[in-house]
Amino acid sequence: MSGYLYQNDLSSMKLAILASTRHDRMVREIASELGIPQIRLRKRMMDRFDMLLLENLPARYEQGMREREQAPRPGRELGAGIYTRAVPLILEDDMDAIAGKVRLMIAEGRPHEEAVEAGRAMIRELITR
Amino acid sequence: MKRTVDVSIPLGPVHPCFKEPARIKCETRGEYVIAAEVELGYMKKGIERIMRGRPWQEVMFLAERVCGICSVIHNMVYIEALEAMTSIPVPERAALLRVIVNELDRMQSHILANFSYCYTIEHETLAMYLLDIRERVMDELERITGARVTCAYIVPGGVRFDLRGEDDLHLRAALAIIEEEMTRYLQMFATGPLIALRSRGIGILTKDAAREAGAVGPTARASGMPETDRRLRHPTYQKIGFSPVSRDEGDNYARIMVRFEEVLASIGIIRTCLDLLQPGPIRGGGIPGAGEIAYSGEAPRGELSYFIRTDEAGRVLDISIQTPSIMNIEACCHAMLVGVASLADVSSTFVSADPCIACTER
Repeated sequence: MSGYLYQNDLSSMKLAILASTRHDRMVREIASELGIPQIRLRKRMMDRFDMLLLENLPARYEQGMREREQAPRPGRELGAGIYTRAVPLILEDDMDAIAGKVRLMIAEGRPHEEAVEAGRAMIRELITR
Repeated sequence: MKRTVDVSIPLGPVHPCFKEPARIKCETRGEYVIAAEVELGYMKKGIERIMRGRPWQEVMFLAERVCGICSVIHNMVYIEALEAMTSIPVPERAALLRVIVNELDRMQSHILANFSYCYTIEHETLAMYLLDIRERVMDELERITGARVTCAYIVPGGVRFDLRGEDDLHLRAALAIIEEEMTRYLQMFATGPLIALRSRGIGILTKDAAREAGAVGPTARASGMPETDRRLRHPTYQKIGFSPVSRDEGDNYARIMVRFEEVLASIGIIRTCLDLLQPGPIRGGGIPGAGEIAYSGEAPRGELSYFIRTDEAGRVLDISIQTPSIMNIEACCHAMLVGVASLADVSSTFVSADPCIACTER
């Protein structure tokens, strides 16, 4: 494994991207859906995404929201496609595991909304840890 | 997350084949590219912030300075957004003149993109031929609008200058020459065996990957997505019976061929508009007022969107610009470059997506 001789600190420029109107709106929507402080979500995005993916996030998010309606439950409520592919905050395997647990909870008789909320808590845990 | 790879190779920010600075960080296993990341920030203008709080007239000039290559469409989308927001009518002659100028701009942008690609794969002869014919297109653009790059040709309710009789004749003569030359160059590109070696089956963008990244313009249309062309939803283009160019291969070759074919299609569109032009006013008047709108148009590189909010005096309170290069370069780096078998193909694949860093960074 080799490294780069020249590395720039991109934090301030990444933050500038996330501060734009459309990015800010998207961050607020995701943060409110998952119940995460906006600042933690921004930090996660800045750590995980390169500048180009950050620039493209609103377009990806809008596309993901359009496709969300066709997704099967409970993945639709959890935002499986959005948080793994459109705005890849968590890995697909992790999301599959969470969706599996939510399905199991529903099968065991837990109310649907409660099971989905438990799933969201698991997503929140993954993002903020 | 760290990945074990053989070598991490940075390309850029200064690279002889890139028109603008960007740094591509490639993680490779031998020659095979397994991941790529892009670093920007070498030419950030902060133009959206400069626009905020200014009157619409000033923003009009700033909008076309977002990008020097596709300045006409920035001007057009911004003005059409204001017109749609405040219901300003456009005379028919002016609407057709807008399409003519927009298509000339598309032609010069596509020819420049194909020049860059040919230069990157070391086919300098074809590259220089293309650069030469582009000048003829630029001359026509200058003849109609009065400037080569930042024309400020489109204004609310119309256009700034009319097309004179001699301009019509000159434009038709130039189009005949450009069509003949571009058909020859298209054949050279389509049948060149060395071009095929560097282009066919390289940098493949599948339809699914293109959709996920929101790829637009020739990059999406080369992956079988003709519906992404915003001209299909523009009233003037609908009136002249526009149909988009599309291919299915999704490789470097397809992206360049789509641009070649779109140049020829643009020639046809301009001829149709010239035939439809009737004497009449070119400016109807109208002043933008308060409102909020999201408006899109088809730039040479794909869908360009403006999100604008203005006050009663027409001052721009908030503005966001989503340029097509953002989506296309992202699709390029996270889909096309992954799996490229040779590092030598990284720069040509990147250039095949027609990346505009000025648009991306704004």
